[in-house]
Amino acid sequence: MLPSPLAIIAEITHRCPLHCVYCSNPLQMASPASELKTSEWEKVFEQAAKLGVLHIHFSGGEPLAREDLCRLVSAAHGRGLYTNLITSGIGLTEARLEELVKAGIDHIQLSLQDSNATNADWIAGTRAHVLKLAIAPAIQRSGVAFTINIVVHRRNVDHLEEMISLAESLGPQRLEIAHTQYYGWAWKNAEQLLPTHKQVLESLEVVAAAQKRLEGKIRIDAVVPDYYARFPKACMGGWGRRQMLIDPAGVALPCHAAAVIPGLRFENVRDRALEWIWRESESFQKFRGENWMPEPCRSCDRRTEDFGGCRCQAFMITGDATATDPVCSLAPARKLIDQKLERVNSAEEKSLSAEDLLPIQQENFWVYRPQPK
Amino acid sequence: MAELEDSSQPRLAAGCRWSGEGADRTLVFPEGALRLQETARAILERCDGQRTFRQIVEELTSAYNASDPAKIRHDAKTFLRRLQEKRLVDF
Repeated sequence: MLPSPLAIIAEITHRCPLHCVYCSNPLQMASPASELKTSEWEKVFEQAAKLGVLHIHFSGGEPLAREDLCRLVSAAHGRGLYTNLITSGIGLTEARLEELVKAGIDHIQLSLQDSNATNADWIAGTRAHVLKLAIAPAIQRSGVAFTINIVVHRRNVDHLEEMISLAESLGPQRLEIAHTQYYGWAWKNAEQLLPTHKQVLESLEVVAAAQKRLEGKIRIDAVVPDYYARFPKACMGGWGRRQMLIDPAGVALPCHAAAVIPGLRFENVRDRALEWIWRESESFQKFRGENWMPEPCRSCDRRTEDFGGCRCQAFMITGDATATDPVCSLAPARKLIDQKLERVNSAEEKSLSAEDLLPIQQENFWVYRPQPK
Repeated sequence: MAELEDSSQPRLAAGCRWSGEGADRTLVFPEGALRLQETARAILERCDGQRTFRQIVEELTSAYNASDPAKIRHDAKTFLRRLQEKRLVDF
């Protein structure tokens, strides 16, 4: 029998005070007018709990941009769900934090864009760094589980040690260091964000050393960049297998990027029960299991570990969502990834020159994620 | 890294709690969940920040009518240390 989803990513709004160039939101963002109402989310959480879901990840955009966030957290908590807030920290005050704690928030994940304000604000497209540092001590004191999230890429990975030190000084129990995944706005900016091979190897060493040094103090979870891997990631733990994402307008998706795949019809929680969407809907069944797999996946021993990798990546790079994930060393389309990496690595010296770090003078350097209209 | 002493009072770490009841009782924590086997659960349910590690071992020894308390002690210690490394337990 099909197991229940373990977690729901509740993308409650696409509004965000930040404009991060690596944002994984879709290029077509949900308008504020289309957002689910408080009562509609409450219904979702009720259904989720009955379905056996354990975690609700409040994400966005910036979840704090919704004035009813505390009510939403309280609704999920009241159904026994584990509540996680994924935030930039912008919009969080001590008073609001106190309300969130009362509402039953279990875990807060605060993002950092870099170790120094100039670079961090450049990446976020706004002056956010100093505000993050101002609210972090209150999160630490609140007693709620505290994670710092760092997304790394070519423009900040050389500061990884400094970022880890900064994170350490803020006192989280957990640190997530994730290489950028190339979807949404990050895909648009991929040529500016992809790290060089040398940077990737160095970052892995830095992470391993920090894991050893901080063992028992801060748990470090790391996400490696799959373009440099030999085998694909188990994207979302498998299509329609562990997680469900609900976008601000109520569209239920198997992952952040699935809407890029043409020809798939996605259901809305306004029209359909969550359980039906999970079990019966065409979109969740489309790449579930192994029937859709081509060779070499179909007979590959790794198919039960990586579930065929990422369908969105397959589509974005090869134009065919059923193709073997092109990051796989066994994929017919691997050369398309290698060509990208070759461009990045051969341009290394030039692109990492000092002027590059004075971006304000450069126009059209990359695309900032705008506000949804 | 903290050492687990007889006098330590292990407890679930911040953001780590039980969910559900009976056979469905699951340990939930940031980005994960564990459904524990009976003995593991028996250890962890006693980690309330009040009982000392010595008391926990004594209780387990009598609850399981165990002939080898040293083994129980060793297994419980290994288990709790592992969870401490994952930041699920503090002591």
